[in-house]
Amino acid sequence: MSLIPEAPADPAEVGVLAILAGLSGMGPRRLRLLLAHLDPIDAFHALADPGGLPSDLADFYSLDLRRGWAVAVRSCNLEQVATNCAELGLRAAAFGSAQYPRLLLADPVPPAVMFWRGELQCLAERRVGIVGTRNPTRSGVATAGTLAQELAEAGIAVVSGLARGIDGAAHRGALSARGPVIAVVGNGPDKAYPASHRDLWQQVCDHGLLITEWPPGVPPDSYRFPMRNRILAALSEVVVVVESRERGGSLSTVREASLRGIPVMAVPGSLHTRASAGTNQLLCDGAPPVTCTEDVLVALGLHSQRRSDLAQDPRPAVGQMEAAILDRCRIRPQTLDDLCRGLAITVSTAALAVARLERDGWVAETGGWFEVLGAWAGTPSAEAGEGAEHDIADAGCPEHSGPEAIPYGT
Amino acid sequence: MFATVASASILGAAGHRVTVEVHIGNGLPGFTMVGLPDETCREARDRVRAAILSTGLCWPDRRITVNLAPSRHRKTGTGLDLAIAIGVLSANGNITADAIADLGCVGELGLDGSVRPVPGIAPMVGVLGDLDAVVPARSVHEALRAAGGRVRPVAHLSELVSVLTGEAPWPDHQVEAPDAVVDLVADLADVHGQPVARRALEIAAAGSHHMLLVGPPGSGKTMLARRLPGLLPRLERDAAMEVTMIHSAAGVRLPPLGFVDLPPFRAPHHSSSNVALVGGGSHLLRPGEISLAHRGVLFLDELGEFAPSVLDALRQPLEEGVIHVARAHVHADLPARFQLVAATNPCPCGGGPPGSCQCDETSRQRYLRRLSGPLMDRFDLRVAVHPPDVEEILTTQTSEPSSAVAARVLQARQVAVSRSGCTNAELDGAALDLHAPLSDAARSLLRFELVCNRLTGRGLHRIRRVARTIADLDAQSGRDPVQMIEEAHVAEALRMRAQIHARLPEIA
Repeated sequence: MSLIPEAPADPAEVGVLAILAGLSGMGPRRLRLLLAHLDPIDAFHALADPGGLPSDLADFYSLDLRRGWAVAVRSCNLEQVATNCAELGLRAAAFGSAQYPRLLLADPVPPAVMFWRGELQCLAERRVGIVGTRNPTRSGVATAGTLAQELAEAGIAVVSGLARGIDGAAHRGALSARGPVIAVVGNGPDKAYPASHRDLWQQVCDHGLLITEWPPGVPPDSYRFPMRNRILAALSEVVVVVESRERGGSLSTVREASLRGIPVMAVPGSLHTRASAGTNQLLCDGAPPVTCTEDVLVALGLHSQRRSDLAQDPRPAVGQMEAAILDRCRIRPQTLDDLCRGLAITVSTAALAVARLERDGWVAETGGWFEVLGAWAGTPSAEAGEGAEHDIADAGCPEHSGPEAIPYGT
Repeated sequence: MFATVASASILGAAGHRVTVEVHIGNGLPGFTMVGLPDETCREARDRVRAAILSTGLCWPDRRITVNLAPSRHRKTGTGLDLAIAIGVLSANGNITADAIADLGCVGELGLDGSVRPVPGIAPMVGVLGDLDAVVPARSVHEALRAAGGRVRPVAHLSELVSVLTGEAPWPDHQVEAPDAVVDLVADLADVHGQPVARRALEIAAAGSHHMLLVGPPGSGKTMLARRLPGLLPRLERDAAMEVTMIHSAAGVRLPPLGFVDLPPFRAPHHSSSNVALVGGGSHLLRPGEISLAHRGVLFLDELGEFAPSVLDALRQPLEEGVIHVARAHVHADLPARFQLVAATNPCPCGGGPPGSCQCDETSRQRYLRRLSGPLMDRFDLRVAVHPPDVEEILTTQTSEPSSAVAARVLQARQVAVSRSGCTNAELDGAALDLHAPLSDAARSLLRFELVCNRLTGRGLHRIRRVARTIADLDAQSGRDPVQMIEEAHVAEALRMRAQIHARLPEIA
């Protein structure tokens, strides 16, 4: 099913594209115009002289721009750039060329050049975008992780932005199921951003596809992320927003998706949590809710019905005091003070009860607030720390233990 | 033509005996002072001359030399004025040498001859030994605490001269006992709600644990910290004496009876310099805030705003209970055994429920970097403080008063001391194994935390120390002091372990 031919490893052309795309003032439109008329290598040599462009093309660029580009092109070391790109395993394709992702050809604002590391074949799979806030709640992280994992198990590629929070959780979830994973990033493909995601970044390059319209060395400026979001939306068949504030980057992805007629789904959240304000608004505006992975599969046309019932919750049953605490945490996150006051119990009693709930995987604490962990989110008790991924991968998903048909592959 | 008078000066928090030698001889009229006086000390010349003339006596128009022995130590302050004046009068023949043989004089002179208080009366009188101490009348209570001999309060130079010339008996300055001391320590009864923070204060007081309060602005961190001294037992005599000496030397206002027996509470501002906090200065070596908080509480509000060098300087005294301050010519050991209480916001924006933080990543990282490091390891208790509920703020019911809590604290401290001879905060790993055995349930709870990577080896010791204190607070009097630590004790200790700038672990 090789829809997309393998990009020829021409280091010189990749290097030229990296230099051209990295010129200051060279946005997607200008570059697309240039490359529509000239071969990349010819364009490179033409730009080395302010008067080197054909006269009909030169009219589109001011003399100042051309002068600046001439200085930049002459001072750069093409061989060095080409070697660096080759070392990264970086491939590139200009708009209109054979390797250029077809999904972007019909885009309203197509990128002039795409750079990628990893397997471009991932784009041939069914694709679901999972986006959300960089500042999620614990249940949001768990939802994104489980959703991505279950989608990946169903052979669906998870598209996300490698940002902190929901994005990172989605990538980790997909990687833990060894599924196809696609990351669209807003800076150059050479340097991990955020730096704390360096390992994740590398894993995506090794086991999936990391794609961007920016060449190596481009910093993560804030204006690049909305532009990144349009590619993220364009590469997804369905966009699922897991958690979002009333304003934020994930809603810009939603707008880009709507522009392109791509369905947007949202995960419902608590009314009391700011992290769910944006997603709840999306639901009000008519976005279909996601309450389990099958909802997304149905939207993709891969599954005909929603799962009828949840499997038995594997967590140990709770006592009376613990049940009362859980009830309060379900309404909104609770502090230990809230619990002592609301249930009229001593600190000692409350501490013992939440310690048991935490151990059995019913609640989790962040900054003194206790949040309830849902059965669907299904996070096993051992969370946090480096070992978390293994635990989750090993524990698997109880809902999927049965032999019911999961449509693998496409 | 020669006279000696005993007096004293201050270095660091300790008094040093100084012998004032006065010689009056022939030569051009003049006044020379030798023996390393500092600027304020050198100005004594003009004050003493004016004071003697105001008293109606003659100033000898001859060559006057004053030596402050031992000459190699620098003398600071104005406390030597009185001794110099008496020395001049004695050398001039106004007073006999016998009359001043058993006297030590400390006090500053006004131009009208009045005798005024100086900082450090208590340690200075302390080094006068069994001499009779002549002190400013207003400092009599302070002097009485430290004196080895009799205390002779005087209000004016003329009074002292009359006594020494045999014209009058020692003046009877009314040593009025001030009214029963009203303790102006804030009371826990004013704190509504916040059961966790109240409980943490109780634990901190009972175990002498250093405590970090983590909470958004307006959650009452400062209010809570101010209530900690009221929960601590009153200082025992020796400790109170140490504290009195330090406070007197630093010129801090002492309680009416001149005796500091309540644990001090010091709250330096975060702009404080290194010297202000740890003590020093080029010659005087004045005690810093950490010494003033000796046997009491040092409260650092907005911990992250303190200069990193200042916080680093706290580490050694926290370890040793004393700070060694050295300058080129002088050095001093200042006691600094204090309980550290600090307060900070969870992150620059103040935090809130999960998902509500507003901070961008850079400012968060910067904030976190300031607060990480070895100082954080010293806090056994890290308490998340949340603003009280509206209903609780408006309630008219008073909460449990400090006195009730202090009674439990005292009992728990007695249990701890009878078991290990020290407070629980001082227990190290080996002592914990001996004095803090864990029940099976408690052990399995700790194992879970360790398996989840949420607890390190060092963190484990902190939890066990705090759990020991919680168990001591629970213990009824008369029970075995090496009572087992139960699951509930550990569970509660685990909740006193707030993260600064808590963020979600990045999990799938």
